[in-house]
Amino acid sequence: MPTITVDGEDYEVEAGQNLLSICLSRGIDLPYFCWHPAMGSVGACRQCAVIEYEDDEDQQGRLVMSCMTEARDGARYSVDAQTAREFRGGIIENLMINHPHDCPVCEEGGECHLQDMTEMTGHTLRRYRGPKRTHRNQYLGPFINHEMNRCIACYRCTRFYRDYAGGTDLEALGRNNQIYFGRREDGRLLSGFSGNLVEVCPTGVFTDKTFSRHYVRKWDQQMAPSVCEHCGVGCNTAPAARQPGSPGDPWLRRVTNLYKRDINGYFLCDRGRFGYEYANSPARLTQVMERDNIELIGSSSGGGALSHRQIAPADGVEAFARHLEDHGTGKHLLLGVGSPRSSLENNFALRTLTGAEQFYAGVSAVDLQLLQLVNSIQCDERIRSATTPEVEQADAILILGEDIDNTAARIALAVRQAAQNQRRRQAEKLKIPDWQDAALRQLPAAPVPIVFAGCEIPALADCCSDHVIGTPDALVSFGEAVLEAIGASRGGTDQGDTLTDTGDSPLSRDYLQLARDTARALVDAERPLVISGCGAQHPGLLRTAGLIATALAEERDEPVNTYLSCPEVNSLGLLQILSSADQHLERAGSIMADARKRGIPVTLVVLENDLFRRLPQNQAQEILSSADTVIALDHLLNDTTRRAHLVFPTAATPEYQGTVINSSGRAQRHYCVYEGIGFIQESWRWLADAISASNLHSDTADLVRSWQHSDDVSAALAEALPVFAEIRRLMVSLRDNFNVARQSHRASGRTAISAERRVAEEPPPEDTDAPLSFTMEGVHDPAKTTLQAVIRAPGWTSNQSIHKYLQGLNGLRVERGAPTLLQRPQKPVPRWQSVELHACGNATNGSTTSGRLLAVPLHRLLGSGELSSSAEGIASAIEPPFAKLHPTDAAQRGIHHGEQLVLNLGETRRQLHARVDFEISPGVVGLPCGFPELADITVRLPVAVHIKPVTASDHTAGGDEP
Amino acid sequence: MLINPLTKNIGADDTALDLGAYRNNDGYRGWLRALRMSPEKLIDLVQKAGLRGRGGAGFNTGFKWSFVPGDRQAQPVRYLVCNADEMEPGTFKDRLLMERDPHLLLEGMMIAAHAIGATTAYIFIRGEYHRAAKVLENAIGEAEQAGLLTPETTGWEQPLRIYLHRSSGNYICGEETALLNALEGKRAIPRAKPPYPQVSGLWGRPTVVNNVETLCNLPHLVTQGADWYRQLGRGEDGGTKLFGVSGKVNKPGLWELPMGTPVREVIENHAGGLRDGLTLRGFLPGGGSTDFLGPQHLDLPLDYDAVGKAGSRLGTGTITVLDEATCPVGLVLNLSRFFARESCGWCTPCRDGLPWVVHILQRIENGEGTMEDLELLREHTIRMAPGNTFCALAPGAAEPIQSALKLFEQDFVDHIRGKACPFH
Repeated sequence: MPTITVDGEDYEVEAGQNLLSICLSRGIDLPYFCWHPAMGSVGACRQCAVIEYEDDEDQQGRLVMSCMTEARDGARYSVDAQTAREFRGGIIENLMINHPHDCPVCEEGGECHLQDMTEMTGHTLRRYRGPKRTHRNQYLGPFINHEMNRCIACYRCTRFYRDYAGGTDLEALGRNNQIYFGRREDGRLLSGFSGNLVEVCPTGVFTDKTFSRHYVRKWDQQMAPSVCEHCGVGCNTAPAARQPGSPGDPWLRRVTNLYKRDINGYFLCDRGRFGYEYANSPARLTQVMERDNIELIGSSSGGGALSHRQIAPADGVEAFARHLEDHGTGKHLLLGVGSPRSSLENNFALRTLTGAEQFYAGVSAVDLQLLQLVNSIQCDERIRSATTPEVEQADAILILGEDIDNTAARIALAVRQAAQNQRRRQAEKLKIPDWQDAALRQLPAAPVPIVFAGCEIPALADCCSDHVIGTPDALVSFGEAVLEAIGASRGGTDQGDTLTDTGDSPLSRDYLQLARDTARALVDAERPLVISGCGAQHPGLLRTAGLIATALAEERDEPVNTYLSCPEVNSLGLLQILSSADQHLERAGSIMADARKRGIPVTLVVLENDLFRRLPQNQAQEILSSADTVIALDHLLNDTTRRAHLVFPTAATPEYQGTVINSSGRAQRHYCVYEGIGFIQESWRWLADAISASNLHSDTADLVRSWQHSDDVSAALAEALPVFAEIRRLMVSLRDNFNVARQSHRASGRTAISAERRVAEEPPPEDTDAPLSFTMEGVHDPAKTTLQAVIRAPGWTSNQSIHKYLQGLNGLRVERGAPTLLQRPQKPVPRWQSVELHACGNATNGSTTSGRLLAVPLHRLLGSGELSSSAEGIASAIEPPFAKLHPTDAAQRGIHHGEQLVLNLGETRRQLHARVDFEISPGVVGLPCGFPELADITVRLPVAVHIKPVTASDHTAGGDEP
Repeated sequence: MLINPLTKNIGADDTALDLGAYRNNDGYRGWLRALRMSPEKLIDLVQKAGLRGRGGAGFNTGFKWSFVPGDRQAQPVRYLVCNADEMEPGTFKDRLLMERDPHLLLEGMMIAAHAIGATTAYIFIRGEYHRAAKVLENAIGEAEQAGLLTPETTGWEQPLRIYLHRSSGNYICGEETALLNALEGKRAIPRAKPPYPQVSGLWGRPTVVNNVETLCNLPHLVTQGADWYRQLGRGEDGGTKLFGVSGKVNKPGLWELPMGTPVREVIENHAGGLRDGLTLRGFLPGGGSTDFLGPQHLDLPLDYDAVGKAGSRLGTGTITVLDEATCPVGLVLNLSRFFARESCGWCTPCRDGLPWVVHILQRIENGEGTMEDLELLREHTIRMAPGNTFCALAPGAAEPIQSALKLFEQDFVDHIRGKACPFH
């Protein structure tokens, strides 16, 4: 290891690193702006200057930019030398000449890197006496504020937005000190990662617009570690809350990134950052409600919606308890429907309540099979689940059928970084370190083989070496051709092209060649990666991806990395709780129908789930109407809660402690950031309350009664199901001798917030689940515990302070142990290769014969997420529902771009905006998956549909016809 | 003996030499001769002749070429770029060559292309040089038509293509890596080095960027040899150079003179001395981004190292004369305004420092300056010192300021004390 001397202190350092990152990771305070730990060095701001000495004799030294200087073994540097300090002071003085003195009204104030760095250099006196340059600000959409006058031109925004995240609609415009970072014209920033600008910008040019509506200073926020609930990646977040000061204020104020090396690193997607607003939505349930027995007339959601009235929570619990007692007599059937977007604890509590046999996954048969496929592929000995840094390091990637830009956006961002790997290799040859970002990006290099196969050209296309756009069946054929080519290379023949073209292949010669090239690239790569997932709703695609990965592993004689995307935050967790492989909603429906036939009353408990997003409308309605009583527990008013007889308001992810399993099988904890308003509490607590209020007495009832803390449920789960044994490691004992403060030392106004109502201070709530206080009392040091989500350090108030708490640059956070993984048994020969797959609508040739097209789901970051669609900002950015089809198919049917078309699917008929586009495969019509108006259709995809132009007679009906 | 290889074809009639006339004057002999030489030998010849880059930095041209990877099989695509973005304040030498003897430049480019193995060459020309652009475009057409660039002539696998690219106007495009970015259609900001353009330049391919005048030196160098070339110089450096003088002299203009010609000879003999009986207070030896030298340096030979030792740079070799009746503060202000406007905006000392410098100089010029302002100006020149900024623009901009503060300090003080410009 090289040794360097900085201001007389010796340091052992990693070879090849730049001096700035070495200094920062050794706790040396050195100011910087343009450098970013994930984005490397470009040498633009000149803020991190230090003195480098030639040799031991050299007293003068010379000024170098530490971010651009590779630490040399035996070299001597000084951060403290007067010349260096004066120069750094001069740079900050230059940067500040145009910066407005608006810190008191700037939303960055108190967590501003520019403030921190200005303080650090000691610059206080303004010597510039000229006018400041001013800019016109732009409207950048519902998420981001723009205040260009604050800009210090560090270029981090465009480097992140363009170079790192592949965006195109934000750029550096103009030159000299008039340089402008913005769009060519006003409008929403179109990248799905735009929210990161808020954290990447070292000052207040880009700030969170959703946060502005209910802004509070960082030091006044209470925070706790959380996990993003908006997809299966499981990014770590730090939601921030504060007691409302005025009636319109919500508790939950914003979400920021919480560094987690192996999952999200420094960045979140926009769904994850701005989706939080669902918790503050007007549709939020806060009261216990009971049906009124009056059917709502003219409900937009079809029949069966009921009007409700508020009741006392105790009455609700009593009513719930009576239903449980009925069940206890054995004359009733009690069924539970779990949820992939709720915690293990909530699902397990319901499973305990109903008994494992009567606990059903809240997903359809196809969705369940997809999850089982993911699970069993991951359990294959030859398969590894890649972490995000491993995705970034891949040097050949096949993405089969999964539009990760929209289903697992953070992973797509990682794939983008992998696309630079040939350049990194090239740089290594030229002895250019990989943190020399600008140098790296100008190197020519062959593209990294990244092959995308899907129905629609993805946003990732610009960094893919090739893509295959086809119908799902064509994609399976492509996958099979890759598989065959891998097999052929194994047969000892060196050439993939010994494969014979039989002529009856559904693939063109080009695609066959591409399949061979892809196979070759995967076989030859050092770190190949196969990505697929549940997004296409096509088990065949997923299985083919699994087969490719295992064939590759056989070929290479080592496990192969995969990333298999699951749709929701706890999809994989829910799967493990099920007692058998067919506990899906359709089966629940038939059991209920059967019970009804036999005159057995049915009580259905639906946990945090909207069945109308899981099944076609008629099936969902049938299930709900075949229950005598529907008890729903959820966050929002939706089509299921509207039909329930009893509704309990439940805590949203930032409002409670729970454990979830991400797409890679990693168990993570989210903690209560603030307590939900009204009568909101955790679902498991409502369930335990109901048991406690009942007269039931059995081992399980007593077990549930004994649950006091969230960890009691976790422990019971770990006890009951060995697959969860490891989650005990996530449990932090309440008896441990420490408490972690959710609020900062500087939290202010606790006694003033309600002072107009009462003078006495309200006692803070107590967390019965975790050793976290709702006050400023307790441990603040993020180095002591990862439970501390308020990241700050002396002199560092901004999010940049995280480097103080990492083990080396971009390392693990200190105090963080090994990942907690599901203890799934690894199987040498998995069963998944031979299971019978659910048929998917097959209409590949249909477009010519029957005039039908295969409707396929198109995922959208903004709109396809269930909860995030209720977030105010995101809701305003969702595109109007559309049907996207290829110009050839459109022309055959006389459909024109921009006009309305009619889509017929069985008895369902929908008018949609036609989007005619070469970006989609012929033979399919893409529908935006899970969009509020289309959810009940998109759950059935892929399926063959008829489409035609709107005729005069269609104009009367905008939606379904009865 | 040929003593004016750069301008021997340039007459008094203000027209460009066409291909026929150029060939009649022994044109393209260097090209044909170079084709018979191996690239290695050619590079060696140019290196031995001591031809130094005429764009201002004075780097040995042959040495610059030698960094291009030798293995042509491994990297068959290479580019030659002619830097014709002549925007240095006070400089107008390349313009003359391009407007009057375009084939000399083209021949030089062909020779350079042969040396580095380029089959595509670009001339990146200053946007305002309309006439030069027209002349060059015409000349490229003539050369193509005459088959000078075809495989039949060259014996190469592909024809040599020469493209003319007209800049949309930015001083920073004269910086070779910013030029490459601009040529690629990107923002004209300098690139990080390494990698150097010879290894990874235009579109990531090995690329050499040479100044117009440098390239124009090549044809005769090849035909007459390294010894002849070295002998042309009067001092340490070989060859001739276009030297120019602007300012209040009797005959401002441009002359081809041997390297090492003393400043005095250029100003007094060729430019006819200062007009109206004015005396010389100082001069910028090589464009707006070089340090002022004083009357004590009039006997300095105009060689790269000699001028460097005197505390300035030979730069483009076009001298700007400051006389006693011209306000040095105003001159520096004018120059700084140019550099502040032309900053690309990439690094802080330049982007935010130069406008501040302009503000201070303007205040001093307006009689609103303070003595603290002088200290502040000195601080800025340190912030903009070489190595402290990303490229050479700001250090260049700082040179006239820092030297003016030394040589003409009293003028600054007089402005401040007198609360007005004494020259008005």
